[in-house]
Amino acid sequence: MSAILFDGVVQGLQLSLLAVGITLIYGLGGVLNLAHGQFAVVGGVAAALLLQLGFGPVAAALGGIASAGILGLAVDRTLLIPAYRYRGEERLLLGLILTLGFSFIVDGTLNWKFPEFSLSFQLKVPLIEVGGIAMRTASLAASLIALVVFAGLFAFLKLTLAGKAIRSIIENEVGAELCGIDPARTRTFIVCLAAMMAGVAGVTQGLFSSLGTEMGPEFTILGLLVAVVGGVRSINGTLAAGILLGIVNAFASHYVGAYVAYIILLSFAMATILVRPAGLLARFT
Amino acid sequence: MKSLGLLGLILALVPAAAGGSPYYMRLATLALIYMAWTVAFNLIFGHTKQLFLCLNALAGTAGYVAVVFAIQLKLSPWVTVPIGVAAAAALGALFSYISVLRGLGVIFLGIVTLAFSLIFHNLVLGLREFTNGETGLVTRGLGFPLLEQPVASYYIFLAALAVALLVYHALMSSKSGMAFRALSDDELTAELSGIDVTGYKVLAAAVGSAILGLTGALFAFYNGIVSPSVFSFVGIDIPVLIALLLGGMRTRFGPVLGAVAFALIEEAVRPFGQLTVLVYGVLLIVLFTAFRDGLAPLVARASAAFRGTRAPATASRPAREA
Repeated sequence: MSAILFDGVVQGLQLSLLAVGITLIYGLGGVLNLAHGQFAVVGGVAAALLLQLGFGPVAAALGGIASAGILGLAVDRTLLIPAYRYRGEERLLLGLILTLGFSFIVDGTLNWKFPEFSLSFQLKVPLIEVGGIAMRTASLAASLIALVVFAGLFAFLKLTLAGKAIRSIIENEVGAELCGIDPARTRTFIVCLAAMMAGVAGVTQGLFSSLGTEMGPEFTILGLLVAVVGGVRSINGTLAAGILLGIVNAFASHYVGAYVAYIILLSFAMATILVRPAGLLARFT
Repeated sequence: MKSLGLLGLILALVPAAAGGSPYYMRLATLALIYMAWTVAFNLIFGHTKQLFLCLNALAGTAGYVAVVFAIQLKLSPWVTVPIGVAAAAALGALFSYISVLRGLGVIFLGIVTLAFSLIFHNLVLGLREFTNGETGLVTRGLGFPLLEQPVASYYIFLAALAVALLVYHALMSSKSGMAFRALSDDELTAELSGIDVTGYKVLAAAVGSAILGLTGALFAFYNGIVSPSVFSFVGIDIPVLIALLLGGMRTRFGPVLGAVAFALIEEAVRPFGQLTVLVYGVLLIVLFTAFRDGLAPLVARASAAFRGTRAPATASRPAREA
């Protein structure tokens, strides 16, 4: 019972890491990134390649996260330029299609270059007992990393001037621009940051389970569901929704099977869009 | 109408050109199926701006309903195919109605319909006792012997395409066509001029979904097997989106041209196997950024130049929003 709960929280934190990037890019750039899961996969694959080249696990992980960030930078500075020329609905539609196309390019390239590839940090995983639950240290480490990243993100957004600038753009892009904030540069920074967080999710996935090149679309969809349930403009909501959906998924998978669990998650997201389009927790943020 | 007849004549002569080769007959039949699907998507996305990312699920619903009812209830496909088509049309109309009712924009309707695609797939995989899961069901010998012969199947799908194009023509040349043009320009203005925007959007979605369903159900019998991979997102939604962009949105023959062009491209990249997905990605990006009018205006201009008249200026590109 509590083991399932723990699994759900671990998985949920990973989902939150992905979803918060989707939320940030949507809030700031007005683009719904359908290639977000692919950032995570690229990060994980890069880390695995560095491991094969003989780098240590920490250096490889950092390298993987950096590669995801570089990919994010490249996407923002090249692929999304046509989308940024428009505003509102037109930008959303163009951004959606462009990132969808890009996700196919990444998937196609990875499947072609590295078929049947999987990343797994072969660490010894001792079980430790906390409050009567046997936990794998790797899962614990992955969750800790996610929590540290989130704490850093919150501190950055609440305490620094750059963070305030970012929140002001999410509130009102024109107003922020009038105050002398450059939305384009901030946007590039955020896309890069979001891609790096996806990279963290990809690398930590390899820490407690394994990461395959075909997992991009699944990551994207799950991240999207969490972002939608959390409210596509709310960061706290996304964190809460990730953990909530992680737990729901873990219990549903255990009791009614994976297919039904997935259907429950999807219906949850659909219902949220229809009933509370601003997100399940919109009132509290 | 004259050009429709000419198109029908050209397509009707294809089997003679294929010379009875089963391989080319299958290619030509698949091209017809994608043409019909693209005509439907043109109505839903092109004319009424409803981003349905569940074409695979709508076609698949009709396909699975037709096949499963035929097997479980021992009904003739002549009964079950209309049931499947009705189910697809009802679902399409429902999504359209909900999206107007809740004021979902393009993106949220896209997410809702994408979620429906995934629900459909998990349902098919989960309801193993009816659908046989990943393996799928064999549809040979269920009562459509004509759809088991290459040439006869080709003409059946040609008839389905003709129905789709005639319905499209009837819609566009009547009052509803005017309404579609008005609401694709500006919904609010259309609503204020007394056009029933909700009604026309639901109509477009229902008719489009019915065409998707009819072709999907016939495809299920033609293909010999229905499985989740027959009706996949990458196998239906993406090719149809690319074909529509390639041919030209909001044009009568764009979907037909686009589906032919797409079939040729796909045949060209087939030897490279896994690279098809990559090519889809490149096509999506290039078409959406650089080639948004599609082939149809080019062909119209070429044929006008051939006849020695001046081509009408293309005005299909929407003005950029400030």
